[in-house]
Amino acid sequence: MRGRHQFSIHFLQYLDPKGNLDLPLPEWTRDRPLLLSIYENMVLARLLDQKSVALQRTGQMGTYPSILGQEAISVCTGLAMAKNDVLVPYYRDAPAQIIRGMSPAEIFMSWGGDERGGNLNTASRDLPICVPIATQLTQAAGVATALKIKGEDSVVVTSCGDGATSKGDFMEALNLAGVWDLPIVFVINNNRWAISVPLAQQTRAATLAQKAIAAGIEGIQVDGNDPIAVYEAISKAIERARQNNTPTLIEALSYRLCDHTTADDASRYRDADELQTHWQEEPILRFQQFLHQQGLWDAEREKALQSRCQQTIDQAVEEYLAVKAEPTTAIIDYLHAFLPYTLESQRSEIQQKEAPVNT
Amino acid sequence: MNVSFSTTDGLATDSATALDERPSAEMQIESKECVLVEAINMALHYEMAHDASVVVLGEDVATNGGVFRATLDLKQAFGAERVRDTPLAEGLIAGLSVGMATQGLKPVAEIQFMGFMFAALEQLICHAARMRNRTRGRLTCPLVVRMPFGGGIHAPEHHSESTEALLAHIPGLRVVIPSSATRAYGLLLGAIRDPDPVIFLEPKRIYRAQAQSICNDGQALPLDTCFTLREGEDVTLISWGALISECTQVVEQWHEQGISVELIDVATVSPLDMATILQSVAKTGRCVIAHEAPKTGGIGGEIAAQLAEHALLDLKAPVLRVGGYDTVMPYAKKEALYLPGVAEISNAIEQVLAFG
Amino acid sequence: MKFFKLPDLGEGLQEAEIIEWNVAAGDTVSTDQLLVTVETAKAIVEIPSPQAGMIAATFGQSGDIVHLGEPLLEFVSDEADNATVVGELQTVSPQPDADEHFIIGSPKAPSQHQAIRATPAIRALAERLKVDISKVSGSGKQGLIKVEDVERVARLESEKGPSTPLKGVRRFMSLAMSQSHAQVVAVTINDDARLGNWAKKEDATLRLLRAIVAACQAEPLLNSWFDAEAMTYRSLATIDVGMAVDTPGGLFVPVLRDVAKRSDKDLRSGLNRLKKDALKRRIPVNEMQKPTITLSNFGTIAGRYANPVIVLPTVAILAAGVIRDEVCAVKGKAKVLPVMPLSLSFDHRLITGGEAARFMAALKDSLEG
Repeated sequence: MRGRHQFSIHFLQYLDPKGNLDLPLPEWTRDRPLLLSIYENMVLARLLDQKSVALQRTGQMGTYPSILGQEAISVCTGLAMAKNDVLVPYYRDAPAQIIRGMSPAEIFMSWGGDERGGNLNTASRDLPICVPIATQLTQAAGVATALKIKGEDSVVVTSCGDGATSKGDFMEALNLAGVWDLPIVFVINNNRWAISVPLAQQTRAATLAQKAIAAGIEGIQVDGNDPIAVYEAISKAIERARQNNTPTLIEALSYRLCDHTTADDASRYRDADELQTHWQEEPILRFQQFLHQQGLWDAEREKALQSRCQQTIDQAVEEYLAVKAEPTTAIIDYLHAFLPYTLESQRSEIQQKEAPVNT
Repeated sequence: MNVSFSTTDGLATDSATALDERPSAEMQIESKECVLVEAINMALHYEMAHDASVVVLGEDVATNGGVFRATLDLKQAFGAERVRDTPLAEGLIAGLSVGMATQGLKPVAEIQFMGFMFAALEQLICHAARMRNRTRGRLTCPLVVRMPFGGGIHAPEHHSESTEALLAHIPGLRVVIPSSATRAYGLLLGAIRDPDPVIFLEPKRIYRAQAQSICNDGQALPLDTCFTLREGEDVTLISWGALISECTQVVEQWHEQGISVELIDVATVSPLDMATILQSVAKTGRCVIAHEAPKTGGIGGEIAAQLAEHALLDLKAPVLRVGGYDTVMPYAKKEALYLPGVAEISNAIEQVLAFG
Repeated sequence: MKFFKLPDLGEGLQEAEIIEWNVAAGDTVSTDQLLVTVETAKAIVEIPSPQAGMIAATFGQSGDIVHLGEPLLEFVSDEADNATVVGELQTVSPQPDADEHFIIGSPKAPSQHQAIRATPAIRALAERLKVDISKVSGSGKQGLIKVEDVERVARLESEKGPSTPLKGVRRFMSLAMSQSHAQVVAVTINDDARLGNWAKKEDATLRLLRAIVAACQAEPLLNSWFDAEAMTYRSLATIDVGMAVDTPGGLFVPVLRDVAKRSDKDLRSGLNRLKKDALKRRIPVNEMQKPTITLSNFGTIAGRYANPVIVLPTVAILAAGVIRDEVCAVKGKAKVLPVMPLSLSFDHRLITGGEAARFMAALKDSLEG
């Protein structure tokens, strides 16, 4: 233990904000359908985001945390994972959840006040979104431990925001991942703001990635608005976890171009100029320009994609609004596997009540 | 010494139906003289041997066998993969357990003392208790969190509290408290086999107080039900955990004076088996509830409230609670001042009898 | 056995009043030794010990009502001795019995006291007004006692003095009569039997018994038990006559078994013993149960006709009044004859008028012979 140790944090970026290449492209980028899939999913994510805000603003959905400007992180997380891997998301991970099989309608249900949104309608063992900050991270460590005990070659990818790194859970999970050699990848969406508190007030550390050093695990910082860097970092980390049970912390630098949630007004605490600056770095346009440069994209394809995604979203809205109300007793029927007899009278009381109008 | 159980009809709980008897062809069924903590150890050994999904984790549980030796020799028997010493972080232990449980394991976590559970509460309340509901049954949380609790062992500060009511207030959590070695064995098996999260509070004051012969047959006791330890006609005395010892003495004392006291061990403090309690109070018309936890906001208050709601016409006297004082648990030298004992419980019985 | 509970002392008997304890805690008793004397609705019953052993405790004192299935006493059990077996183990505090006998949930057949349905405030009011709440009948839902019920009783007691609660035999009579009145469709027919052929010192009760036997043979249906709920009846082969006996404690109805098959002498001695037992209120339990038909010979006191009340599940009762001399038309001539007035009540739900009339005719034939 004694001695002088030196550490450094590597920053990874392939595309600059204009979509120009900084570095030679990694091998996997020859997979053109994958590149296009990254783009398409980001576009879909943005439309879903816009529609979600619209639904909330028109009283058809509850509070929603937008992911505007941070789409690359969640999309690349979803695409880099294998089907059998387990996602332990935080609440700004709808794009990854959709890629892993959740329907956009279920996303609307989750934020529209219907627990069935967490059911995923699939046999997925992904955890549902997690609201209490950073608590998903120790659970993710538990999931990774379970996979290891069961002898599976699956890995866990879990995510959080920059604010979450201030919580003990974050360090506890990171630390354990190192001690127990867990097959896990931690992805921080560093969007610089925890509601109204900027990163500078969360930590004096130069990077969040360096917190991995204290836990004795790999840590890397990537440009979170550069899909190539994000995908490269996450897929490499997943591979290491799968091969060697080596955990990794990835800090993806991005920016929250939106309010914290639909219940927030960022103009109260954030400079409009700062926001404008960061619009120059957002991932979708950047990637579109890259695809243009690579000869993989044109206006016609863009138009077709927009219309396809819009159709998907419109269908999802229709499906969401048409969803039938659950029986009133659903509020107690899923508390336990078997309802304790002591709750039977309360259940009957609930049964007598009229189902609320489904909005 | 024999151990016998009897079941009454109509009270078979849902969790009881979830229990399966596990005849062990490969294992010789043996009876062993066990104190409470050994009974817990025996149940853990049994279940780990019979269910590969059971995993034990916590501070000092593996190599050291737990600070109270509740997990003794588990690591030797089942290996370091399934018996894990965790870093010193209670929130982590709970979070790990939630994660493991969602993936089909049955983690049995130990929080070394109940006084250190507070960091774990966020995981237990916000996640363990809700995972089934939140995913509409897709993911579940069949975990057990064991914690030694209660005073009377002259421990340092934070090692002697009884905060079971905090946990009992949380929908979705079961809170189970054994009061003897026999019930510790059966209830722990029941808790591990329960498909939902169970907080298992171990009255450490009686960890090594009383040996009983226990048949290691893997037979679980049902959760969600009280146990009637003594039948009586004049007063119903309700308690749980270590205080059952004092209550038993009180029952004996009054018995000598011709007063028969029905002693009920609540055992599962949430959900509360009020049917058994109401049936008893309908018979006796008098009720005293004794617990170590502070009186205000304790489970005794909940029982008393339900008696007021459902048993008013049966009551011949006010329902009395005997509890700890509404103050912080004093340090070891003064803990006897705080803990309710035979005299306080007996006095309460005298008071309810005085109403005629 | 640890607890000895009040056994079923006769059908439908739900409770008994403790008259006297014959043993006390600490006594060693042998099997069948007298433990306690209780008074049921029908009789005073002596309860013997079901086993040998030492009494740990007795429950209840003279005057207390014990309900069916409630413990009367507790024996010192061998099991309790085991508690000290673990003494060699290190214990930090006194402990419960090492042998774990416990019940999952609540005891199997918990005895529910017949709770007086009154809130504490009402009980307090009753106490303040010095009203025994057990004497108040509630006018509220499910017999809930209300303020006005307590006040009514208080007013009554202050004006007319305290009421006396019915106990034992009189209490049972009251319940049985109410039940009969509520259920039975009783019809009474009256007639006189001319006793011109009787010897000087004829035993009237014996003759009545013989007449009942003859009438039952003529119309067996009147010697039946009827179950209106099931709509069934059971015509009975033996004739067991319930003999209404008036005592200061109330009406006793001991049973004279198989009257048809017994000699006059045997019947008479049976009657004498029965009457004596009734006056002492000590009747063996088997002689208190299940008459098939009832005889009330109130004529030994006073009165002519009556409408006697049938006790369920029987369907007939015969009552005989005072034998008197009366001028009778015999073959067209006036003649003074001793005459016995008869009243026969029958349950018209089972018995037809014709059957009852023929029964009466057979009775008369027998008595007049």
